[in-house]
Amino acid sequence: MNPMIRKELRQRMRERRAWLLPTLYLLVLGAVAIVFYMMVTARPGSLEIAVQGAALGQGIFLAVAYAQLSLLLLVAPVFSAGAVTIEKEQRTLAGLLTSLLSPADIWWGKLAAALLYQGLLLASGLPVLALTLAFGGVGPRELGIALASTGIVVAAVSAAGLYFSCFFRRSVHATSVTYAFIVALAVVPLVAYAVLGSLVVRVPREPTWLQYAMAPNPFYALSIGLFGGAERAGPWVGSLAFFSVLFAAAAAFAVRNIARGGEQA
Amino acid sequence: MIDARDLVKRYGALRALDGLTLSVERGELVGLVGPNGAGKSTLIKILATLVCPDAGAAAIEGFDVVGASGRVRALVGYMPDVPGLYQDMRVREFLEFFADAFRLRGVRRNVAVDGALARAGLADRADTFVEALSLGLKQRLFIAKTLLHAPRLLLLDEPATGLDPLARIELRRLLRALNGEGVTILISSHILADLEDICSRVTFIAAGRLAGESAAPAAAATPRSLTCEIELLGDPARALTLLRERTGVRVVESTGARVAVEVTGGPEAAAALLRDLVAAGCAVVRFDPRGGLEERYRRAFGGAALSPRP
Repeated sequence: MNPMIRKELRQRMRERRAWLLPTLYLLVLGAVAIVFYMMVTARPGSLEIAVQGAALGQGIFLAVAYAQLSLLLLVAPVFSAGAVTIEKEQRTLAGLLTSLLSPADIWWGKLAAALLYQGLLLASGLPVLALTLAFGGVGPRELGIALASTGIVVAAVSAAGLYFSCFFRRSVHATSVTYAFIVALAVVPLVAYAVLGSLVVRVPREPTWLQYAMAPNPFYALSIGLFGGAERAGPWVGSLAFFSVLFAAAAAFAVRNIARGGEQA
Repeated sequence: MIDARDLVKRYGALRALDGLTLSVERGELVGLVGPNGAGKSTLIKILATLVCPDAGAAAIEGFDVVGASGRVRALVGYMPDVPGLYQDMRVREFLEFFADAFRLRGVRRNVAVDGALARAGLADRADTFVEALSLGLKQRLFIAKTLLHAPRLLLLDEPATGLDPLARIELRRLLRALNGEGVTILISSHILADLEDICSRVTFIAAGRLAGESAAPAAAATPRSLTCEIELLGDPARALTLLRERTGVRVVESTGARVAVEVTGGPEAAAALLRDLVAAGCAVVRFDPRGGLEERYRRAFGGAALSPRP
C-alpha cells in the first residue's frame, strides 16, 4: 500500500471533523428528504401526489441527490485544496520530495485519501437515497447512475483542487480558487446555454448540440442521465467525458507541479 | 562524493548561485559558511534534488542530481533549516512512515525504526505524539528520520538553529560519530565555533560563489593561528610596541585599550604571549583567544563577523 495513503487516512481520521462531518452530512440529507416530503404532501391536493408514489419518490430522490452533490462539492475543496499546501505550510514537503516516493506516489496518496473520505460520505448517504426506492419510480439503475455521476464529478473537482494545492503556497488561496472554480463550473455553462439558446432557432425542437453546452455543469451531469430516454444518453456521456478529461488534465499538471515543487518546499 | 561545477541558480533577477564549484571527498566533514543570502541553502537544496540548477551540473557519487535524482535520494540524508514534522503523528508512526517512504521492508524496516528510536533516545517516547516533544527532542527525531535509510552523505542546513547549548554539544558528538563511521557530511551553519570544532574543512560562500576555503582547527596541522582579543588597563602603547615587535604576532585591530592580534602557533603561543605581556608590566584585564575561523570569516565578509565586545 502506498505509504502516503496510510499516513493521510491516519491523520484524517484523527481529526475531529472525521466523525463530525459524516454526522452533519447525514443530518442534512435526512432533513432534505423529510422537508421535501412534508412540503409536497402538505400542499393542496397532496392526497393525489401521495397516491402517485412514483412522482413523490423521484422528487425526493432528486432532492437528496442534488443535496448530496452540493454537500460533496462543498466538502471536496476542504480535503483536496489543502492537501499539498499544508505540507508546504508545515515545511514537511521537503521530507516527502527527498524520500523515494515519486511525485505520482505523493499525488495519488493525497487524492486517494481525499476520495476515500468522500466515498465514505457518499456510502453513508446511500441508505437515505435508497429510502426513495420504497415510493416507486426509482430503481437500482437510477441509484447507480446517481452514484456514478456524483463520484466522477467529485473525483474531477477533487483532482482540480489538488492541482490548485500544488500550484499555490497557501491553503487559503488554493481553497478559494477551488471554490471559485466550482462556482464557474456551475454558472458558466448556464450562461453559455442561455446565450447560445437565444441565438438558435428551437423550432421544432432544441438542437442536440445545445445540450452539450451544459456538460461542464456538475448538476447537469447528475440529472441528465436520470429518468430519461435514450436521447439523454449522449449528453450524459458527454458530460462525464468532460469531467474525466478534467480529472486527467488536473492529475497530469499536479504531478508535474509536485516534481518541480522543491522550490516551494 | 560531491562534485558540483559552475552551478547557477536564479530566482527572478536574483542570482542565488553564480557559477559555484565545490568538491567534497568521501569521508569529509565540510562546513559551509557565508552571510545570509550567500547561496548556502540553495546549494544544499540542489544537492538534495529539491531544486534544479539553471546551469552547471552536480553529482553525488557520480549520479547526476537532476538526471538520476532517485539514485541520489537513496544516498543522501537531507535536513532543512526548519525541519518539518507531522505533529499529529506518534513518534514511531512518523519513523515508520519515512521507513516506508524509503522503501525499507520487513525486518530491515523494523530494525531501522528501532535503531533510529534508540539513537535519538526516544525509545521510551515511541507512542508520544510529536507535538508533545520539546524542540530539542523534535530535532533529534528529525535527525533520526534523516538517518533511517543509512545515507552515505548528510546535507545539513543550519541543524543547530534553536538548540540549547547541551543539545548543540550532543549534535556535534553525533556528527563526529557519524563521520567516524564513514558518513560524509556537508553542514551549513552560522555557529562558527561548532564548525571549528567538528569540520575537517570549511568553505566560504559569498554572493553565490566560492569565496575561499580553510582547514578548520579540528583538522588543521600545527602551527595554526588564533585571534586574541586583548583589553588593557591604561596606556596600551607599551603593549602595542611589544606586540608589533614579537615574531608570530600580527596586530589586526587597535581601538583605544582594545587590541586584536593574530597569533601563529596555537594556544601555546597565545599562553606565552599573555605571560610575556604580564611580565613586561602591561595591565591585561582581558585576554580572549578565539579560533582562526572567526577571523577568517571577518576577513572574507567584513568586520561585522566579530562578536560584539562587552
